[in-house]
This record gives sequence, structure tokens and C-alpha cells, in this order.
Amino acid sequence: MTASPVSVVALLRAALEAEQAASYGYGVVGSHLPQSSAQQGAATTDWITHLRAADYLTALIQARGGTPAPAAVAYQLPVPVQTAAQARVLAAALEERVAQAYLALVAVPEPALRSYGAGQVRAAALRAEAWRGSTEPFPGLPAASLRG
Amino acid sequence: MLEDAEVTGDGGSPGPSRRALLAGAAASLPLLLTACKGVQALGTPPPPARDIRVLAAAIAAEEAMVARYAAALRQLTAGGGTGGAGGGTGGGAAGGPAGAGAAAVAAVAAVRAEHVAHLAQLRSRLIHPPALTSSPGPSAAATASASPSAGAGAGAGTGARASRKLVLSELEQAEQTASDRLIGQLDGLPPALAQLFASIAASEATHVPYLRAAGQSR
Repeated sequence: MTASPVSVVALLRAALEAEQAASYGYGVVGSHLPQSSAQQGAATTDWITHLRAADYLTALIQARGGTPAPAAVAYQLPVPVQTAAQARVLAAALEERVAQAYLALVAVPEPALRSYGAGQVRAAALRAEAWRGSTEPFPGLPAASLRG
Repeated sequence: MLEDAEVTGDGGSPGPSRRALLAGAAASLPLLLTACKGVQALGTPPPPARDIRVLAAAIAAEEAMVARYAAALRQLTAGGGTGGAGGGTGGGAAGGPAGAGAAAVAAVAAVRAEHVAHLAQLRSRLIHPPALTSSPGPSAAATASASPSAGAGAGAGTGARASRKLVLSELEQAEQTASDRLIGQLDGLPPALAQLFASIAASEATHVPYLRAAGQSR
């Protein structure tokens, strides 16, 4: 599980892709929430957060000599959305995917990247909690990696 | 030594002198005694590696957290479940305050279940050597009883709501501290353990707004 420079860039690219997908997804989330509501405002805030995170990851990848992939035109949504309730479920699902991507970064031995990844896992989990109204015992951690 | 060599040489025998044999026997005596006493007599074992120490500390902290939540549940159910010292009304029929108490109890029980899950995963990563076997009883109990709100639940001048808020507020603070501590310990840990720590830290951070919301319900 020791990460070579190449795999670090690959992990950063995976995180970037998750952020880009989240940015796209929040557009869908926001469009299904009541106009000018507090929830729509929260969706906008989170959307901007993901855009900025994508910019930061892009810079990190470039600084390591990698080439960041551009955002796709559209992304497959993990859940269908037709109602406000489904939009909130989508937001939580997007955050869980983002948390997974950043948790992979925590495996990198570089202290700065590890700390950054952990901070982003926590931030995504907090956003997911806000949308879901409940907590998860192991944000970002695949069930298969749990023991017992 | 020189004398021994001369004597040995005189006899024509290449074997060790009697004096050398005695000296060798005397020197080997401590080794024989050591063998009889076992490994402990070889000296103190080396300290465990840092990741082992960090994991053991995380397990102890999680045990303390579980104990803290058990104590909080006892307080909340004692304060809200009695229906009030003066009223004696049926809890559910009383309306708002009883409902808010039930919401707080449900929230605390749900979070406690997550801490139990955290503890199980942390424990599964460590095979306890005897010297490192943690003793959750005293430390966990001490942490729980050290809580300033302990025993405040049935205070005469304190309303159930204020007591409930205090209990929840202390849990929120403990959660934030625990989350920060875990994230601060990631350096140098094996990748899988670092990921588990980061995930648990994230979970514990989410307990803060979750408990706060439960405390604000009326």
C-alpha cells in the first residue's frame, strides 16, 4: 500500500473526478429544491465548495507533473432525482463518494497529503450529515474493509 | 591467566585447567538462573512501536467514550423517564418536554452504537499483548464520572431541559476533541489504520451537529 509518485497522482485524479461529479450533481440537487429556500442556499454553498476543491486538486496534480482530466459534460447520478427529498439523498450520496475518494488519499504516507485527505473526509461527512440528518459510523470506508 | 596456561601446558593435555572450568561455571550460573526464571529475567521488553501505542490509546479513548455515553443515557433516562418529581404524569402524554427528552435519548443511543462499532473495529486491529491490555474499567469510569454534569440530572433547581442540554453539550465537546485527536495522530501510521482513524474522526465530527440538533428539539 506504499504509494509511488505515480499512484499519488492517480489518487489525486480520482479525488478530482469525485469533486467534478459532485459539482455536477449539486446542480441537479439545487434545481430540485424549493426556489430561494435555505436548502437551496446550502446546495449552492456546497457546490461552490466542490468547485474550489476541484481547482485545488487540479493545482496539486499539475504541481506533481500530472495532467488533470477535464470535467465531463454529464455524470451518471447514483440515485434518480425527481423530488426535493430525493435531491437531499443525492447530495448525501455525492458526499459519500467524495469522502471515499479522499479517504484513499489518507493512505499516502506524505503527512501533508494525508492530513489534507483526512480533513476533506471530515468535511464531506459533515455535509452528508447535514443533508441526511443522521450520521454514519465509517464515512468513506467501504464495508468490505471492515472486520468482523 | 598466565599461570593457568603454564599449568595446562605442563600436563600435555589440551583441555581447560581446573581453574578455568570453575571460572566458566561461575560465569554461566547467571545464564542458567535466567533460563529458569524465563523471559522476564532478560530485562524489560522493548517499548511497543508507535502505531501500537497510538492504537492502544485510541482504543482506551473509545472505551471511555462508550462509558461516557452510557452515563449520559442513565442521566437522560433518569431525568426524563420519571416524568418529573412533582408532576408524576405519564411521560408520553405530557407533550413537548417528554418528546424532546425522548429525542435526546434516541440520539445519544444512536451515537453510542456508532462508538461501539468504532471500538470493535479498533480492537480488531490489535492483538493485545499482556502488557498492553487496557483496563477500561477505571479510566472509563473516571472519565464518565469526571463529567461536570454527572449527578445533575435530578437536581432540585435545574430543569430537565437545562440538564439535557448540559449533557449533550459535554458530549459534543468530547466528540470534537476526539475527532481532532485522531486526525492529529495520522502521521506515520500504516495506511489502513490511518484510513480507519480518519473515517472514525469524520464520524465523530458529525456527532457534534447531530447532538446539537437533538438538543435543540423541543
